[in-house]
Amino acid sequence: MTDWTATELMAIVMARAFDDGEVVVMGAVPALPMAACRLARATHAPNLEFIVGGSGTVSPEPDHLPASSCGGDLAPAATTLPLPDVVLLEGRGDAFDVFCAGGLQIDAYGNCNLIAVGDWEHPKLRGPGTVGLPFLPNTERSIIYTQSHTPRTFVERVDFVSGPGHPSGPDEERPYRKQGPSLVVTPLATFDFDETGRMRLATVHPGTTVDDVLQATGFTPAPGPEPTITPEPTDDELVTLRAIDAGGALRR
Amino acid sequence: MPARFLEANEAVALIEPGSTLGVGGMQLAAAPMALVREMVRRRIPIARLVTSPSASLQADLPIAAGLVTEIVSPYVGFEHLGLAPAFRRAAETGALRILEIDEGSLTHALHAGAGGIPFVPCPPGVDLTDIPGVDRELFRRVVDPFTGSEHWAVPAIRPDTVLLACAVADERGNVAFDRFPFTDREMALAARRLIVEVEEVVPAGSLADRAPGTTLPSFLVDAVVVAPGGCHPTEYPGRYGRDEAAIVDYLRSAKDATGLEERVAELVAEDEDAYRARRGGTS
Repeated sequence: MTDWTATELMAIVMARAFDDGEVVVMGAVPALPMAACRLARATHAPNLEFIVGGSGTVSPEPDHLPASSCGGDLAPAATTLPLPDVVLLEGRGDAFDVFCAGGLQIDAYGNCNLIAVGDWEHPKLRGPGTVGLPFLPNTERSIIYTQSHTPRTFVERVDFVSGPGHPSGPDEERPYRKQGPSLVVTPLATFDFDETGRMRLATVHPGTTVDDVLQATGFTPAPGPEPTITPEPTDDELVTLRAIDAGGALRR
Repeated sequence: MPARFLEANEAVALIEPGSTLGVGGMQLAAAPMALVREMVRRRIPIARLVTSPSASLQADLPIAAGLVTEIVSPYVGFEHLGLAPAFRRAAETGALRILEIDEGSLTHALHAGAGGIPFVPCPPGVDLTDIPGVDRELFRRVVDPFTGSEHWAVPAIRPDTVLLACAVADERGNVAFDRFPFTDREMALAARRLIVEVEEVVPAGSLADRAPGTTLPSFLVDAVVVAPGGCHPTEYPGRYGRDEAAIVDYLRSAKDATGLEERVAELVAEDEDAYRARRGGTS
């Protein structure tokens, strides 16, 4: 099958990045990371668990991919953590393995910004706010994803750090006890991070060129190995994903 | 004293003009909109609006009505449906003072307010963001007296009045949530005055089998307002879904300030029964 969408490929790439037994947390607008978690559970990671945002639902398996993180359609769920418990455990920092997050801006060091583009006091664009993104450093690693791969989203330095990434530069003391951002997934490509914490182009999706990606990225990625082509979805991955996404949320 | 059953207009009259108001509900669910709409109709000014970790229309509508001076909120938005138009415009024009806070610091500050704890040190994470740097009112440095290490701390939050949506009240004014209390119980316990809108009233004793952590006893509730479908256009999880068409209509009408003013004027001109009739009523 070759009629997959870029969003479906993103879900599949994220699913491949999860390890069996990991606990994944996600925030608002959960359809994409939720699809990835459920696909991983249905394939190589049957013991993965995921928590859907403010609902606190643990590994819910509805017959579609819910648009909201707090809706009554997040059912059935094996168990549900009250939201204050999720907040406690995010602070404790050893209960969750992977945080899936994004931002209005994402920078070369994996910092995310959901608060303000431009000066904070007089923003050009006021974002909704950061919710739980300050807890990004407390999970073992984070996966950054966005549907918007443009020079306005991918910037050298975010205007406001609301979700901490890697420290920006070798002089800055590395505050992480953990891995920090490990993977970035967009409709065009995937990035990983070099030893200084700077983003580098890892793979370009089929039909996209390295030049396309660089044109869409507002900073120069760190040099690294020659980018490869993102492996296409296998028939098995796509059939399984579409059974999870019966409503076609990832095909719009 | 047990809760009093009041009409919405009587209940919101308990809100002191120029006080601190907390509004419950999370993302597009369980927003106490019947109460918020009534507050907007009566044009009650709010000095400080405190939301749950993620608010939508229960914050954007009072801001659209020009009633809010400052806000303490980790998120005002509409998830997949878009940004919050009034919040965004008020932030960009400087009409609204924003006290920046994150989900963790807010939840712990409410917990502190509920427990008589004067302030609470923040867990790791927010120290690596720019948030404390732009909010010196809520974030201050403290030294751990046990280890000597430095941390950010936030003060306890105790709203003067809190508005919540619950599923049911029994005849004595005990109230119960269904599946997702979110952080509404923490906000309720931190409140100086608590007003709850409910979908329905059930006989006394009906809540006996509800799990602890999903109810609030009548003596903590000052007023109950019966408002079936009152969370519209947000959902009450498990009872009714979101009216996404109505939310999208609000977002579209709010593309410019005039559209927002018209929307607020329309709301002020009708009572809740008329509102319910106009939207075609889910209950």
